[in-house]
Amino acid sequence: MDRPIAYDKLAREDRFVRMRARDVAELKVQQGLPPFPDLASRESIRERVHGIMVGELQAMEGAGRTVYDFPDAPWEFTMDMARQVWDESRHVETYLGLLEHLGGRVGEFPESTILWRCACAEDAAARVAGVNRGLEGLACDVFNQLIHIAQKIGDPILEKSVDYVLADEITHVRMGSRWLNELTRGDAERRRRAIEFQETIDERFNLGGTRQDGHHEMVPISIAKEARKLAGFTDEEIERLVKSTQRSQVY
Amino acid sequence: MRALGGWIALTPELPAKLLFGRHVWDCAQHADAWGRRLPELRAPAQQSEPANDAMVAFMRQLESPEGPSQTLERIAGVYAVLKPHLVTLYARHLASANPVYEPPTRRILARCLEEERRHAAAGAIVLGRLGGDASARDRVNDWRRRLFDALAKAGGVTGDATGSLVDETLLGVAPESVASDLVETPPAFDRAALPDDLAAAVDAHRKALEATDGPGAMRWVAPDAQAAVDAAFAALVGRITATHVVGLASIGRQQIVKLRAEGAPVGALVQLRWTPTPSGWRIVAVELVSTEPVSVAR
Repeated sequence: MDRPIAYDKLAREDRFVRMRARDVAELKVQQGLPPFPDLASRESIRERVHGIMVGELQAMEGAGRTVYDFPDAPWEFTMDMARQVWDESRHVETYLGLLEHLGGRVGEFPESTILWRCACAEDAAARVAGVNRGLEGLACDVFNQLIHIAQKIGDPILEKSVDYVLADEITHVRMGSRWLNELTRGDAERRRRAIEFQETIDERFNLGGTRQDGHHEMVPISIAKEARKLAGFTDEEIERLVKSTQRSQVY
Repeated sequence: MRALGGWIALTPELPAKLLFGRHVWDCAQHADAWGRRLPELRAPAQQSEPANDAMVAFMRQLESPEGPSQTLERIAGVYAVLKPHLVTLYARHLASANPVYEPPTRRILARCLEEERRHAAAGAIVLGRLGGDASARDRVNDWRRRLFDALAKAGGVTGDATGSLVDETLLGVAPESVASDLVETPPAFDRAALPDDLAAAVDAHRKALEATDGPGAMRWVAPDAQAAVDAAFAALVGRITATHVVGLASIGRQQIVKLRAEGAPVGALVQLRWTPTPSGWRIVAVELVSTEPVSVAR
């Protein structure tokens, strides 16, 4: 098996329709719709849940590749990544169930592969910075918002399910913080490149200003500061993320 | 563990993908338990080496099926060859490990034995679901035979295995005990998901494609998109013998209909974007996804 694999080798059942996220967003805007699900309707929540299910699938695939791609990495690193594979497989199961709960089906909305592409970084340190800290950090924000919406609409199944998954995501971010430090110890340049990679991902996933600093009621995706602190982000890092959302106007 | 992890992304079928995802962590814990036990037996912790070169060759062969249409080989290699062999070795070792001197080893063996038996049983279920027909069974049996030959050359994973590589009597487990290893995946795509009016338009377009009726097919394409649709179907014109709707995704009011076109020498997967217009549904964009089968799960 190649190490790593080309990102276009990501395999899917035929029922999945793959499209670029930018194209999907543009087509929605052309129809007078918000570019990303605004969670204002059950269908919009279903679309968000479908997007998360696909994201969990790609996170499982990415963590699996990390187990395979870095045989010389510290054993504890491999153990953490293997644990993450299992967690993500359970998250896929959870979101498949939620999709059914919301009356949806697999393949109902297009899949974009941005997350998977981020998981294909060649350096293990960049991968954990980008995926575990950048993308799982985004998951903390998105899940926190979804829990709030679930509480608001009185859907305890959605609320509790997402809350359990959020707990795992916080753990994954912690793993990312640990391994970013350990893998780059004594190599400032490698660390700089890994953090830069994470910041490009943070920037990209600000989703054209959709993620912002502010209360759940006021912004489409609120930065989950408390969850991020639990996950090991420093105040300085959170502040930097907030600033990056203020200059991100494209999706 | 590493092979399963690497294969997840390369495997299209959800039941297999999630089976691998379930078991990577169990396998990691098994390896970890053995690695921690090593220094207690006066060997370096977490350091492993293959028994011999033939064992390396066996593992390379086992890992080699990485194409999207080789899921059966992937499952068979791990779940119908390697894991049953490990079950057999663990059981033999457990039977011979001294209960007074070797309880730490026996505990690890007992856990690995139980979990590997469960894994093998779960793998057999998924293998049966994905490869139930005769040609699939032939493929699986052929691959198993080749892998067992390679494993025999190595003398099993330990390099010194005596007796049969697999004791089938050790493999049966109660079906309910494997429930936690399997994820219930949603049923295959149902074309009833298409709204009636869109289904009628899609079917008329499909029939025209199958009948090599160019003008009839083009009737469903918006004028602005006709050149692009022409170009996308150029390699398939006159070769399509059947078409199937295999997916449907919504982008607001627009619908992406995914078609599998069968023909000779190759089939194709095509994504057609349909939009409602005053004259009914029309195709406004097309994307040729692939000119090779990308999945065995329809």
